[in-house]
Amino acid sequence: MASPVQSLKSGSTSPSTYKKPKGLAAFWLYVKENWVLFALGAPALLLIFLFSYLPMFGTVIAFQDYSPRTMFLSPWVGFRNFRLLVESPLVMRLVVNTIGLNVMFIAFTTFFSVLIALLLNEVRKAYFKRLTQSIMFLPYFMGWTIVSMVLFGLVDYQVGTVNALLTKLGLERIIITDNAAAWPWILTLVRVWKGTGAGCIIYLAALTSIDPQLYEAAAIDGANRWQRMRYISLPAIVPVITLLILLEIGRIFFGDFGMIYALVGDKAQLFSTTDVIDTYLLRALRSNANYGFSAAIGLLQSVLGFICIFGSNWIVKKYSQARGENYQLF
Amino acid sequence: MVEQRTATDRVFDFLIYAFLALFALFCLFPFWIMIVSSLTDDLVLRQDGYLPWARKWSLEAFRWVISGNDMRTGYAVTIFVTVVGTICSLFVMSGLAYVMSLKRLKGRNKLAFYVFFTMVFVPGLIPWFITSRNLLHMHDNIWALILPMMVQPFWVFVLRNFFSSLPSELIESAYIDGASDSTILLRIVLPLSTPALATVGLFMAVAYWNDWFLGVMLLDFANFRPLSVIILKMVNNVQAIQAAMKQPGVSINLAGLPTLSIRMATAVITIGPIILAYPFVQRYFVRGLTLGSVKG
Repeated sequence: MASPVQSLKSGSTSPSTYKKPKGLAAFWLYVKENWVLFALGAPALLLIFLFSYLPMFGTVIAFQDYSPRTMFLSPWVGFRNFRLLVESPLVMRLVVNTIGLNVMFIAFTTFFSVLIALLLNEVRKAYFKRLTQSIMFLPYFMGWTIVSMVLFGLVDYQVGTVNALLTKLGLERIIITDNAAAWPWILTLVRVWKGTGAGCIIYLAALTSIDPQLYEAAAIDGANRWQRMRYISLPAIVPVITLLILLEIGRIFFGDFGMIYALVGDKAQLFSTTDVIDTYLLRALRSNANYGFSAAIGLLQSVLGFICIFGSNWIVKKYSQARGENYQLF
Repeated sequence: MVEQRTATDRVFDFLIYAFLALFALFCLFPFWIMIVSSLTDDLVLRQDGYLPWARKWSLEAFRWVISGNDMRTGYAVTIFVTVVGTICSLFVMSGLAYVMSLKRLKGRNKLAFYVFFTMVFVPGLIPWFITSRNLLHMHDNIWALILPMMVQPFWVFVLRNFFSSLPSELIESAYIDGASDSTILLRIVLPLSTPALATVGLFMAVAYWNDWFLGVMLLDFANFRPLSVIILKMVNNVQAIQAAMKQPGVSINLAGLPTLSIRMATAVITIGPIILAYPFVQRYFVRGLTLGSVKG
C-alpha cells in the first residue's frame, strides 16, 4: 500500500508528534492524497451502485404492500407475498420451465459445440476451416429481435418457409406457431443455431494445446482418425466441458430471457411450456400487476440463483484444485 | 505429414467435411431467406410465402424502408447509442479496472468484491425497474438506453486482469517520475492495451446495437425508438393482428401492416453494419471468447 510519496511524507514527521488518524479521518486523508484514483474509479462505482445495489435494497418490496407513491417505503406485510407465492400454481410452472428449458439448452449447445470443435480440429484444409467457422459464428451477432422476425418468417402458418416448401411439394401445412409442445424444441434449435459457432471456440482453443506427438504415436500404433479423435482429442477436453457445464448450471435460474421474450412474446397459448421467471416478471411489469408478489418471485429467483452460482463456483474450485490447476476466473 | 490414408480414413474425412458443410448451411439458411425475401416482389411473397428463391425481384421494400421517418430516427438513435455508449463504457470501465489493478491500493479486495457481488446476486427485474424509472427518473431519455448497461462487471474484471499483466516497472517508474494516475492511464496503460480494449469495445458495441430491453422498459412517451424496438413492435403487431383475425366478427384494417418484404428489408438494414464489419473484427471476438472463459 505504501506509495513512495506517502512513505516520504510520513518519514518527515517525527514519530513522537505524529498521530495516526483513525476511522473516517483516515479515510478522508487517503481520499485527499489519492483523489485522482477516486476520480478514475468513481463513475463506474457510482453506476454499479445505482443500477445494481439500489435495486438490491429495493428487493424489500417483496415484504411490502407496494404502492407507486411510497415506493420502497411502503407498509410492511411480512411474508404475505411469499405465502401467496407458495399457494400459487404459477410459481411451480415458472420454476419447472426455467430449469427445464435451461437443461435442454445446456445439453444441446454443449453437445453441438463439442462435436463441431472436434470435427473442425480434424479439418486440414485451412480455407475450409476458416470459411465454415466464420459462417457458424455469424448468427452469434444477431439481436434477438432480428432472430424473432426471421423465425416468424420460417414457421408462420400462412407464409412461413416450412409451410411454403411443404405446399410446393404438395403436402399438408403444419401448425407450428401455436403448438406449445413444439416450442421448447424450437427454442433449443434456435439456441444451437445461434450459440454453436461461439461455443466451439473455447473447445477449439483447448484442442490446439494437445501435444501433437500423442497423435503421431497413436498413428504409428495403428489408430485410425476416428480412434484418435475418440481416444485422444475428446478425453483431453473433458475437463473443459465439465467446467463449462458447471458454470452454466450456476446460472440456471437466469438464462438468456431476452431470447424467450423476443421469440415468444405475448402469445399466451405458448406460456404453458415457455413461460420462465424472467418473462413472467417482464409481463407483470408491463401490465402493472401486483409488484409485491412479482418481487417475491424475483427474490426467490435471486436467492436460488445465488446459491447455484456459489455452489457451482465452489465445485469448480474443488474440481480444478484436485487436478492441480486453477480455472477460477476471480 | 506423410501418412498412409486408409479407406476408413477417407470415408471419415468425407463425413467430417459433409457434416460441417451441412451445419454451415443450416447457420446460413435464415440469412438466405431474409435477404432473398427482402428483395422479392411483395405480391409474389403473399402468394408463395417466404421461399428460398424469388420469382420476381424488387427493390421496393428497401426504398420504402429507407424513406420511412421512423426507420431514419431509429438508425440515428441506434448509432448514437452504440458509438457514445461504447466509448463511455470503455473509459468508465478502464478507469475502474486501472484502480483495481494497482497493487498499492488499500482495500483492493473489498473493491473487487463490491464489483463481483453484483454478478452473483442479481436483483429482480421489479426493483430494478422501480429504481431506474421512479427513483432515478431514467426514462424517455436517450441516456436511459446508455447508462444502465454501461458498466459490465465481467468486462471490468477482464480489463483489470489485462492491466495487471502489463509490466509493473513501466507504471511504477512513471509514478516515481511524478506522473499522475490519470496520465499513466491515458499515456501508458491504455495505449498498451489496445487488443483488450478492441475486444471489450466490440462486445459492448454489439450489445448496444442489439439491445431492446432498455428500449422496451424505459421508453414510453419518447418520440424515438432504437431499431431493435421498432422491429420487436413490428413482430408483435403482426402477431396481435393475426390473433385478432381468428376471432369471429372482427374487422381489421390491414393497410397499416408492414408487408412481408418490408419486414425482411428492415431486418437486413438493421444487421447490415454488423455483417459489413464482421470480417474485419472477427478475430477480436474469438480472442474475447477465449479470454473471457476458463483456460484450456
